[in-house]
Amino acid sequence: MRALIRFFVSNRILILFLFLESLSLFLVVKHNQFQRNSFLNSSNAMVGNIYAMSNSVSEYFGLGKVNQALAVENTDLKQRLYQLEEELRFLKQDSSYQGRKEMALQKKYSFVTAKVINASYNKHKNYLTLDKGAADGMKVEMGVVNDLGVVGIVSEVSEHFSVVLPILNPHSYINVKLKGENKSGSLIWDGRDSKTAILEEMPRYVKAAVGDTVVTSGYSSIFPEGIKVGTVKYLKQKNDDNYYIEVELFVDFSRLSYVDAMAFDNLEEQQELEAKNLKKMEGGKK
Amino acid sequence: MIDFFLRRSGAFIFYILLQVLVLNNILFYGFINPYLYIYFLITLPPTISRSAFLLIGFLMGFLIDIFSGTPGCHASACVFLCFVIPYLQNLFGPRNEHTSNVMPSFKTYGPGSFMQYAIILVVLHHFFFLMVEYASLSDILWVLLKTLFSSIFTVLMIWVLEMIKSKN
Repeated sequence: MRALIRFFVSNRILILFLFLESLSLFLVVKHNQFQRNSFLNSSNAMVGNIYAMSNSVSEYFGLGKVNQALAVENTDLKQRLYQLEEELRFLKQDSSYQGRKEMALQKKYSFVTAKVINASYNKHKNYLTLDKGAADGMKVEMGVVNDLGVVGIVSEVSEHFSVVLPILNPHSYINVKLKGENKSGSLIWDGRDSKTAILEEMPRYVKAAVGDTVVTSGYSSIFPEGIKVGTVKYLKQKNDDNYYIEVELFVDFSRLSYVDAMAFDNLEEQQELEAKNLKKMEGGKK
Repeated sequence: MIDFFLRRSGAFIFYILLQVLVLNNILFYGFINPYLYIYFLITLPPTISRSAFLLIGFLMGFLIDIFSGTPGCHASACVFLCFVIPYLQNLFGPRNEHTSNVMPSFKTYGPGSFMQYAIILVVLHHFFFLMVEYASLSDILWVLLKTLFSSIFTVLMIWVLEMIKSKN
């Protein structure tokens, strides 16, 4: 017994070292399993508030750029408004228009505008923190976009802050397609370049070329169809049936300020229906 | 003693905030991120007991982790760093009996010895940290490249800080 105590006392440094090291590595492993440990993330109140304070100072340095981007977006929206008004005037003469209008209005998206108060883009697993939380209508699984294109998907929400899983994270997985094609593939990130993502599962029979635009597919109901993601930068035919495609992203993750989170209002209804159908199919098998 | 404690606590908070609010946002070529906060750990004097040293390292890494969203990565690298620091201090520190308990710096170690001491620790810490963050051997070349470039910038910053300190 005394020998045992003496052993512990004389090796206490090594034991403490091994204990702290295993504690840290346990945190790493736990974090990887659950993607984000809910207590230790930047949506917790103290960390969120410090970042919000820091951001309230640093945002002044970027105001010029933000202004410019807003002006460009404004012009673009105005142009589209005129175009749509023109189209509307033309369509009103069509008698079947009224019925179709009602159908279109049923599929509604609601938006929450938020400010990015903390962002990383150079790590292996990147995250963004937004200054809006459940109190402002943020929900998990909302799609996040800015004026340039897709940013990511909301992964965690607290009362006043939320965390976004951006495209630049190996866990991110976004359903996309090439503009003008119907076959969808998935957009993932290999952890290297913050301007490039990889488009997987795009079969070789799809007509693809360098310079093609990549947009969201609308199949996952997180994003509506046709939101811009990037352009095809590099394309190679692999040995199997799929292409290897590198996509240059439109969004500059080093310069994010304001983003919009969007949710399909009838998402719950759709998911319920899908779950019900699945149950029925399984019941049928038995 | 109390004065020393207060000053070091201030420095502790200062280096953490400097790291998470400034340095984590300064990126050279999009992937090089200096981790200057370990300067605080490598300049702690050997008068602190080794177990307290390990605990300080863990706490510092843990706090950086919470802010950077990488639970455990910085903490494990810092604990490892604090474990090896005393051996390197014995190796590079002054041999003299009276001066062996001094804070590592240009003045006490001499510029050459101090930089060797700092470079070894910075590379060890960065490599350990990035290996834990990437957690796979398939990215080993990328990890080595990032270690090399991030270390260069951290070491440069340490060198500049020491130059300023030794001038005063």
